[in-house]
Amino acid sequence: MRYVTASMRAMALSLRNMFRKPTTVEYPEEKRERAPRMRASFALVHNADGEEACIGCLMCERICPSSIITIVQGEKRESAVTGKKRGWADDFTLDLQACIICELCVQVCPEDAIIMTREQERPGYRREDLVLTMDKLYANEKKALAWGRGSILMDMQDPKRPVEVPAETAEAKPAAEKPAAETAAAKPAAEKAEAEKPAAKPAAEKAEAEKPASKTSLEKPAAEEPAEKTSLEKAAAAKPAAEEEKP
Amino acid sequence: MNPWLHAVLYSLVLVTVLMTCTAYATWLERKVAGRMQSRLGPTRVGFAGLLQPIADALKLLQKEDIVPLAADRALFNLAPPLTVFFALATAAVIPFSPGLLASDLDIGALYVLALSGLMVFPVWIGSWASNNKYALLGGMRAVAQGISYEIPLLLSVTIVILMADTMSLSGIVQVQADEGWFIARPFGLGLATFALFFVAALAEGNRIPFDTPEAESELVAGPTTEYTGMKFGLFYMAEYLHSIIVAGLGAALFLGGWDGPIAPGLHWMVLKTLGLWMVMLWARWTFLRFRTDQMMTLCWRYLVPASLGLLMAAAVWVHAVHGVS
Amino acid sequence: MTLERPDRADPYLDLDEYEPEADLMVLNFGPQHPSTHGVFRVVMYLDGETIVKAVPYAGYLHRGVEKLCEKLTYAQITPIVDKNDYVAPMFNEQAVNMAFEALTGTEVPIRAQYIRTIVGEIQRVASHLLWLGTFAMDLGGAIGGGTSVFMWCFREREMILDLFEHLTGCRFHYNTHTLGGNRHDIPAGWAEKVHATLGHIAQRVDEYEAILDHPIFKARTEGVGVISAQLALDLGLTGPLLRASGVDHDLRRDAPYNIYDQLDVQVMTDTGGDCAARYRVRVREMRESIRIARALVDNVPPGPICGTKPIKLPVQTRVKDGQVYVALETPRGELGTYVIGGGDNRNASPYRLKIRPPSLHALSALPYVLPGHGVSDAVAILGSLDPIMGEADR
Repeated sequence: MRYVTASMRAMALSLRNMFRKPTTVEYPEEKRERAPRMRASFALVHNADGEEACIGCLMCERICPSSIITIVQGEKRESAVTGKKRGWADDFTLDLQACIICELCVQVCPEDAIIMTREQERPGYRREDLVLTMDKLYANEKKALAWGRGSILMDMQDPKRPVEVPAETAEAKPAAEKPAAETAAAKPAAEKAEAEKPAAKPAAEKAEAEKPASKTSLEKPAAEEPAEKTSLEKAAAAKPAAEEEKP
Repeated sequence: MNPWLHAVLYSLVLVTVLMTCTAYATWLERKVAGRMQSRLGPTRVGFAGLLQPIADALKLLQKEDIVPLAADRALFNLAPPLTVFFALATAAVIPFSPGLLASDLDIGALYVLALSGLMVFPVWIGSWASNNKYALLGGMRAVAQGISYEIPLLLSVTIVILMADTMSLSGIVQVQADEGWFIARPFGLGLATFALFFVAALAEGNRIPFDTPEAESELVAGPTTEYTGMKFGLFYMAEYLHSIIVAGLGAALFLGGWDGPIAPGLHWMVLKTLGLWMVMLWARWTFLRFRTDQMMTLCWRYLVPASLGLLMAAAVWVHAVHGVS
Repeated sequence: MTLERPDRADPYLDLDEYEPEADLMVLNFGPQHPSTHGVFRVVMYLDGETIVKAVPYAGYLHRGVEKLCEKLTYAQITPIVDKNDYVAPMFNEQAVNMAFEALTGTEVPIRAQYIRTIVGEIQRVASHLLWLGTFAMDLGGAIGGGTSVFMWCFREREMILDLFEHLTGCRFHYNTHTLGGNRHDIPAGWAEKVHATLGHIAQRVDEYEAILDHPIFKARTEGVGVISAQLALDLGLTGPLLRASGVDHDLRRDAPYNIYDQLDVQVMTDTGGDCAARYRVRVREMRESIRIARALVDNVPPGPICGTKPIKLPVQTRVKDGQVYVALETPRGELGTYVIGGGDNRNASPYRLKIRPPSLHALSALPYVLPGHGVSDAVAILGSLDPIMGEADR
């Protein structure tokens, strides 16, 4: 008898599921709604001046756990719009085959130049189709871009950041509304400092060498640690800025 | 008409119809199972995936036909067509409407049971010839299960024969049309007999919850592990054919066959067969699988005594109603 | 044939065992098998269909992660170890980062601890759902009721992955934990989504329980694969396996990390140690995790989510020396991380990073549990141990 009642109940439940809405969709025709933060592929973007935002600083190449980013640094030259000297990337290749979508390259980018897209690459028949060259990366700028930007991620993780959760406004919008303007306004000094780093390698290394010193502060209680660290950060940022002003 | 000509022509039509039914049974099953699992089921090939069976058949035909080096080649190749042959041969005596059957054998019920008993052989031949351990284990299970469940199946059909006083399937349906369906007559006993028949038929057809011979999570694919392409397709087809025919048999033996108001008999028969088949499908996508020893326990410890008891009860009932003849 | 062999030290583990005269069949269960799908092999010695001896072989999914971690810097390790326990990646990230934090003495802000706890508990539900589905499939077959339960469980798990996608941007392999905190803060409206999803899943779990409260399921699980409490302790089993054997042990309560010391975690135990007990423990844990996550998600305190400077350079964390062992409770048990500082890249990489995966210990129970059972039970037992080969083989 237990068999009969239990079987009836089980069969009633499976019948009930039959009248639930199917969760699968016919993919290419119908797409599921994805989260604004969703990250899938990569794009390089142009900055507010309409120039290539990437300054070829190699930050992403260094952080990449899979070492899939290859950048050819270009000559430092003046920007056509602002007239200031800045770095350029002559070539930028990202091998999506080995990418683990960890978002670290986006996080470390000082110029918000590399951004993840919410659209996946179309599957290809050859391996080369999944190697994103510079042209492909800049073409991807027109795809739906993910919310993550270097500046947003850095602000979010800032130990001293304001209490409010940053509103997710710009993220769902396409590439046209880049938050580049606001971030540029927010921390121009720091960005400039970062921009100088790759060109002035010794300076960058100096800054790196200073970091272990700042590590000691980690052992202090958390309350005073952010304050001290950010002041160090500021000092580090101020130095190259000062150098820049000299000439 | 010449009875020979009738048999040949009718068989041709029946085989064509049954094969088409089998193909669309797979489509229906996939569709229903998909919906049960919150999926869509086949949607791509044709409208609502209606051409899916054809695509499947084409795919199976294109697959490389592999015969393992260590296999017994002749037997290995013999088994798949043999299963389909036995499954189809069973269909010859299923009455679809008065007079619409290939051959109205006097011993129709016995013939069906004998042939479905023979279904065990090609499975065992295939599994033995494969020379594969999983296939061997699966074949062993299939034979044990087929032989064991043959007994309650046979006994439950015997009860019907006893009550109908004929072995001809169309005769049994006629008795039901005249005096009432066997599922409800006598009350309780008929239902119990039907339940017994249904469970035994599920097990005989290796359907979940009794599909231990195939048991993919344990034995890869059981007896069909080494079969590829259309040879596997034939096993697959035979399984579906068998399930449809068992459903038809159940409809004829217990649900009154072609008997029904208003619509022609054929419609009722098809409707009942389809309904019974859908219940089998529904059960299949709901239950987990028994273990082999538990299945044997169920059969020998519960089903066989129960069917013997029912047989005696039926005999008493027949005696009370009809008196000693 | 009996296993009483006084001449052998351990009759279960001795490897020179094949004797032709014993008339046994050797069955290579896997790696090409639907239940072990290419990542695991058990050599079974069968007497008829009864297993006389079982020798498991792991290592098919070995990727050298621990060695790789010696070359990567602290900042780069998190996304790599994500791939270990690929059913519950949140715990992998948490484990290594907790170890690094202990090594560097970094404080994790309270908000980050809350987020870690919440995502951990939600991930636990997802992991147990996946286990329930695959376990039912092991019992019910790829064409049958097992697949239905499997699909339903995945349907619900998908909703959890959606939650994580909203939080971190990835459905899997999130890389959301970092040294000193988290990388992604909770987006606006996430708490409501969590409530909706988990409330929905709580209902559905009742439904699964109803559908699995069936004599067939009971017959297949009760008394099958009994691991005694002593054996479980001897083998170092942790998590639901240990609790199903009646040992009341849960790191969340006994060695609290994150904010578990402020929480009242109900530790679910059961007696029997068989597959049914493991099933009951996991289903109850699912409910408990849903309760914890729903209670916490509304009360996340404001504040920073990262206690240190965010990752900018791969080498920004350097540890000269020191060693720590940090353990946390994953859905499968104790996931330990042992780190020794002072390695390559001028101390920016660990000298050694050892991961103690709960799954490997779970698999070590197989030689002791399988003998005496049939092949069908072997599948049920293997499924009930919930091994994830990604972390067992690393």
